[in-house]
Amino acid sequence: MALQTLEFEFQDAAPKTIEKEWSHLGVTGSGDLEVLMEKKDLAGKVKVKVVTPVIGFDTVWQKMLQKFVSDCHVGNVSIEINDDNATPIVVYMRLRQALAEANEKGAEK
Amino acid sequence: MKSWKELSGASFFNATARERAVGMVDEDSFTELLGPHDRFTSPHLPVLGTAVEFDDGMVTGVGRIGKHPVFVISMEGKFIGGSIGEVNGGKMVGTIRLAEKVAVRIKKKHPDEYEQRRPMVVISFETGGVRLHEANAGLLAHAEVMDAFQDCRRKLPVVCVVGSKVGCFGGMGFVAAATDVIIMNEQGRIGLTGPEVIEQEMGKEEFDASDKALVYRTTGAKQKYIMQDCNYLVEDTIEAFYLALAEVADKTLDEIEGMRRIGSVKLIEEQMDIVKLVGDMQPKDAMDMWKYYGNAKPEILPELSIREFLQVAKRRVRG
Repeated sequence: MALQTLEFEFQDAAPKTIEKEWSHLGVTGSGDLEVLMEKKDLAGKVKVKVVTPVIGFDTVWQKMLQKFVSDCHVGNVSIEINDDNATPIVVYMRLRQALAEANEKGAEK
Repeated sequence: MKSWKELSGASFFNATARERAVGMVDEDSFTELLGPHDRFTSPHLPVLGTAVEFDDGMVTGVGRIGKHPVFVISMEGKFIGGSIGEVNGGKMVGTIRLAEKVAVRIKKKHPDEYEQRRPMVVISFETGGVRLHEANAGLLAHAEVMDAFQDCRRKLPVVCVVGSKVGCFGGMGFVAAATDVIIMNEQGRIGLTGPEVIEQEMGKEEFDASDKALVYRTTGAKQKYIMQDCNYLVEDTIEAFYLALAEVADKTLDEIEGMRRIGSVKLIEEQMDIVKLVGDMQPKDAMDMWKYYGNAKPEILPELSIREFLQVAKRRVRG
């Protein structure tokens, strides 16, 4: 039982990148996760890398991430997630929070 | 993330490691070193199937309080109980060593103004000690940190701050005791073996870990304050910790040395006197000690607010 890495790619019809060069949110606590978002020229795509100890939920990750990308119209962003058994709704909430943090005005990193 | 002003009034107990690090130094002065973007994760956890974190559960960096550079180490208890492994242990040691180097430089550049510009190390502990997944490296980090403390002595203060959920336990309890100054809020707890482990090993009769009142009056800040094991007892806001740190930053090195609990023959003798006293008295509860040190009604102390407590509590007399 080793950690597994999942990689996904999404393309939204009207993608918008983030304000900051990069942004971080959350802690890999039990039932929680951390998100690192980085502005990158990916021809409008979103690349997601998930590192998780949970096995067998690849489709759920795919669906949740797809929902996030379509709901928020994200593009040209690389997302890295360290997960420790977060439920899908926690994943969605943290992604929305991370996006808000990444678009926060003023405090440019 | 909250602004510095919002953080200032926020609860220290509920703050994340990064919020604490930012809020304990002057506004807009904190620069994180080896932050999440550097992705310095533990190489040992993936092989054991345990989730990793980009900053390995520790925020390190430098900020300012007035003219004093402040090197901050802040532990995140939500990530594997704030445990110390190879990477975050290395970050901890590296930060203290960096503070030492900066102290040497400042002394050279501003020999007449060293006291006003003297750096300080601040460690916000939230940890159960060694991370068992990488135990040897974690233990080594404990030893290296204590070694670095000794090298800082009489050059720059090393301040321990405890007031988060996990408290400060295991090997890091020793490390906290080896610092110069300890600042706690009421929720802060310091100890060696945690309450659950004592109960598990010695039974509920020895220590009932579900009895929170018992746990707090044995390992909590009020007990530490009466016993002189903590120097400052403050309200639970990040600002209260910031103000206490600002006070420590301006103290003379002699005053800092005078706040230590261990580290000289005289101080060890003082500690041994307490051990002897406890042996003779055989206290059944921390309150027996509070009574011994002059608190006629020890049972009222846990209920008091920090302000009331600081007015009435009698402490052990040092020396």
